Amino acid sequence: MKSHSKGNFHQTAAPLLFLLPNILIFGTFIIIPAIQGLRMSFTEWGVFTPVRFIGLDNFKELIADEVFWKTFSNTLVYSFFTVSLIMVYSLALALLLYRNTLKGEKLFRSLFYIPSLLSMITVGIAWRFILGDEMGIINYLLRQSGGEGVRWLTDTTLSMVSIIGVSIWAQAGYYMVVLIAGLQAIPTELYEASRIDGASPPKTFFFITMPLLKSTLLVVMVLATIASFKAYELISVMTKGGPGYATKLIVQQVYQVAFLEDRMGYASAMSIALMLIIALFTLLQFKLNGKEQDHE
Amino acid sequence: MKKLCVTLMLVMLAVTTLFAAGAKEDASKKDVTLSVLWFNDGNESEVFLKTMDDYLKANPNITLDLQIVAYNEYDQKLKLMISGGNPPDLARITTNTLSVVVDSLEPIDNHVQDIEAVKKQYLPSMVAFASNKDGKFVAYPTEATANGMLVNKTAFNNAGIDVDEVSKTWTWGEWETIIKKVLAANPKMKYGLAVDFTPHRFSTIMYQWGGHFLNADQSSINFNNPGTIETLKWFKHVHDAALLPKSVWLGSENPAELFQAGLVAGHIGGSWNINTYNKNVKDFEWKAVRMPKGLINSSVPGGKFVASFKGSKNQAEAFKFMAAFADKTHNEIYSRDTFNIPSRNDAVVTYPSNSEDFKVFLEELKVTPAFTADEWKNTNLSKVTTYIREQIVEVLLGNITAEQAAANVDTKGAPYFK
Amino acid sequence: MSKRKVSVFLHYAILIVLSLVTLLPVLWVVLSSFKPQSELFRVPLTFIPKAWTLENYLSSLAAGNFPVYFSNTVFVAVVSTFITVLINLMAGYALAKYIFTGRDLIFTIMIATLMIPLQVIMIPIFLQLKGLGMLNSLWGIIIPPAATPTGVFLARQYLVNLPDSLIEAARIDGAREHTIFFRLIVPMSKPIVATLAIFSFMWRWNDYLWPLIVITDNRRQTIQQALANFVGQLQINWSNLLAMTTIAIIPVIIVFLAFQRFFFSGIAAGSVKG
Repeated sequence: MKSHSKGNFHQTAAPLLFLLPNILIFGTFIIIPAIQGLRMSFTEWGVFTPVRFIGLDNFKELIADEVFWKTFSNTLVYSFFTVSLIMVYSLALALLLYRNTLKGEKLFRSLFYIPSLLSMITVGIAWRFILGDEMGIINYLLRQSGGEGVRWLTDTTLSMVSIIGVSIWAQAGYYMVVLIAGLQAIPTELYEASRIDGASPPKTFFFITMPLLKSTLLVVMVLATIASFKAYELISVMTKGGPGYATKLIVQQVYQVAFLEDRMGYASAMSIALMLIIALFTLLQFKLNGKEQDHE
Repeated sequence: MKKLCVTLMLVMLAVTTLFAAGAKEDASKKDVTLSVLWFNDGNESEVFLKTMDDYLKANPNITLDLQIVAYNEYDQKLKLMISGGNPPDLARITTNTLSVVVDSLEPIDNHVQDIEAVKKQYLPSMVAFASNKDGKFVAYPTEATANGMLVNKTAFNNAGIDVDEVSKTWTWGEWETIIKKVLAANPKMKYGLAVDFTPHRFSTIMYQWGGHFLNADQSSINFNNPGTIETLKWFKHVHDAALLPKSVWLGSENPAELFQAGLVAGHIGGSWNINTYNKNVKDFEWKAVRMPKGLINSSVPGGKFVASFKGSKNQAEAFKFMAAFADKTHNEIYSRDTFNIPSRNDAVVTYPSNSEDFKVFLEELKVTPAFTADEWKNTNLSKVTTYIREQIVEVLLGNITAEQAAANVDTKGAPYFK
Repeated sequence: MSKRKVSVFLHYAILIVLSLVTLLPVLWVVLSSFKPQSELFRVPLTFIPKAWTLENYLSSLAAGNFPVYFSNTVFVAVVSTFITVLINLMAGYALAKYIFTGRDLIFTIMIATLMIPLQVIMIPIFLQLKGLGMLNSLWGIIIPPAATPTGVFLARQYLVNLPDSLIEAARIDGAREHTIFFRLIVPMSKPIVATLAIFSFMWRWNDYLWPLIVITDNRRQTIQQALANFVGQLQINWSNLLAMTTIAIIPVIIVFLAFQRFFFSGIAAGSVKG
């Protein structure tokens, strides 16, 4: 795949200048606050109470905190299914729509992209109306036709399924776009060659498309994973993390501890744990994809 | 095409720059602009501006900069502003917000001559809420709220039950028998009662059963008490018996919507629902009734206030303005047009409709024990309420017993009271 | 029917079914915005309004300073889109095409910042903005989120695939580094520029948290804030919420349609063949 020349350019000034605006903004608005966040994780601190250094106490408490571990495992379950299903579904959409030969292809692409244009709050509101137990449209129709309502948002397992389904609905169009770009970048000669060789469509898919799409798929996987670890608005609108703790993710818990329980220090410790976990997963994903990213 | 896009963007940009520039402050005048932080349940900001219109006309040097923030983020936004040393000149606050920011509020004592005379004008429960731990009066009460029960009268009629009569003295035991008859007589109605998904509404029933959150002198959390445990068990029982819809506490469905759809016979919620139902319910007759008795009758008092902050820039003007907003005339107009219970003793409000319903809520308030207000203004309790809500749901789900939940809450809450 | 026709038919059938599933919830929002509030929760539920009304639109347009919110949001979204595209493309280029000490470290740190939930560092960010005097100014919503790691990441992934030979050739011709970037790289980056533009416009348009932190003045509020304000403590002003939501969707759709030609036009011809 990496057939392009390996010549990169040894320069110092130019790239740094190109990076400067980004670095300045990152540094000021993300890195410095994040470092302050790290420092906070070793303290006991409320918005209106003085900061008190307590060493590793927050982290010790974290290890024994049942709710934290519940939200931790919820986050893993949510992320795993959301990311893998998003990848499958958005790839399927991209495969249906990348060829530029079908009439109305552009229209369909736009249609599938529309949910990605909505804010997560809007998405949550719309789907609550559809999935609600008593007032939801689906259950209403089921009951009208003599059936039983399905407990989309009040069953502990189903509520997680619903959240995952809606997350996929809301984001698939976005990743479809990225994947279409990736698919279109694959030289058509390769497909032609494979057809002349008499390869079956599945064979072409697995031996030509997939390998050449690998780096794009990686992009999608990394972005989707990170987004899934940060899912906040959708869940607060749809289930408030419930029933009970069934769909509560770490971000929800961090927010609650920080702003409702007024324990900034402990919330920081939680978020540092969250960041470590995400970093670990991202690293793992890069590792699994081997040296693909090393363009040196 | 590309050029078109760019041109389009530039035009949009130019137009918006004009607008955005038009919004810039004119710093040359010496007028006072009061920054006001506000949230809405319904039409309060509109009514607020209309109510104060005469004051603003009489004081042309005052302008208001009203920022409306969504209630969900309200406390957080206010905390950010305060901790950043940039508090608004005045803010609308709930009893819950009050418990969070009470130490940052500027006492009214510092701005009026006779504070006792001011306090006397307001309902005692409102004054209790608005007093900080040094006994200083820190916020002007604007409206009183109470929890109460609204019922679908048509549904009771269909079962041949005169809800006005039975509700005068009913107990929760009797309610259960009656509501089963109502459900039997109304095949489309699915549940007897919906209770808002908040610990505040849960506590209404908890107080009726003799339960509480805190010990008597408020020095520590004491959720683990017989009354509370009994309420939790009862709450699970009525959910399991399908008298209450699980979708509210397990799926955060909005009880007011269920009520409007005619799916539940009653709703325990705040007094502001009268306003909503008045506007939206067209298919059946509804009214406020007394809640059933547990050990005692009780509601939970609440309220909304306006207050200014330590470090607010235009404190003097803000206090003049608030005093005017909270005076008799303005309070009456505001209460009437927002469909709220006035916070003043001397206010006489004639609502365009539903005055009977307000009377019921007021009666509930009168029999409510005073300690309930003290509990709900406790800063430390406000930090545990979300956890309490989660634990109640865990009981409803059958994941833990009522006893376990009560014990968990006490363990979780204890450190805040150290 | 021939085999080919069957497969085309199937292709369309799948697309139509999936797009219906995709669109129904959106359609529901739009249609409900034309219902009077009393119809929203009335059984039997309706999909298409029984009594069409524009009242929701009129009252939400009248509520607050709608034109000001709208133009603030357009201003923020347009300006930040320009800035975001430019600086992220620059950063992506630096990370894709140069070798220098600390490059991988910088890239890793940028990606790592993606993982920080904004809610967590809100208070330090607020203090930082305050120190810089950016509170309560639209620039406070424009500048800080302009350097998005996702943008840098996408730009870099795209630019890595551009052939180095072109840059080498330009350099041999004596072109300066910035000339190469603006004259050679930018024109070759149309698809990624369109992608970043659409994404960035959408992010800023739908942004809720930054304006919440930064803006304390009603005249500088944005649409999403105004939207959220229809959600009260326990009551939701559904009619206004749905109407405003519908209005808020329109600009993002316009921008999407305007850019989609470039967006989908495929990665610059030959860019990965090198």
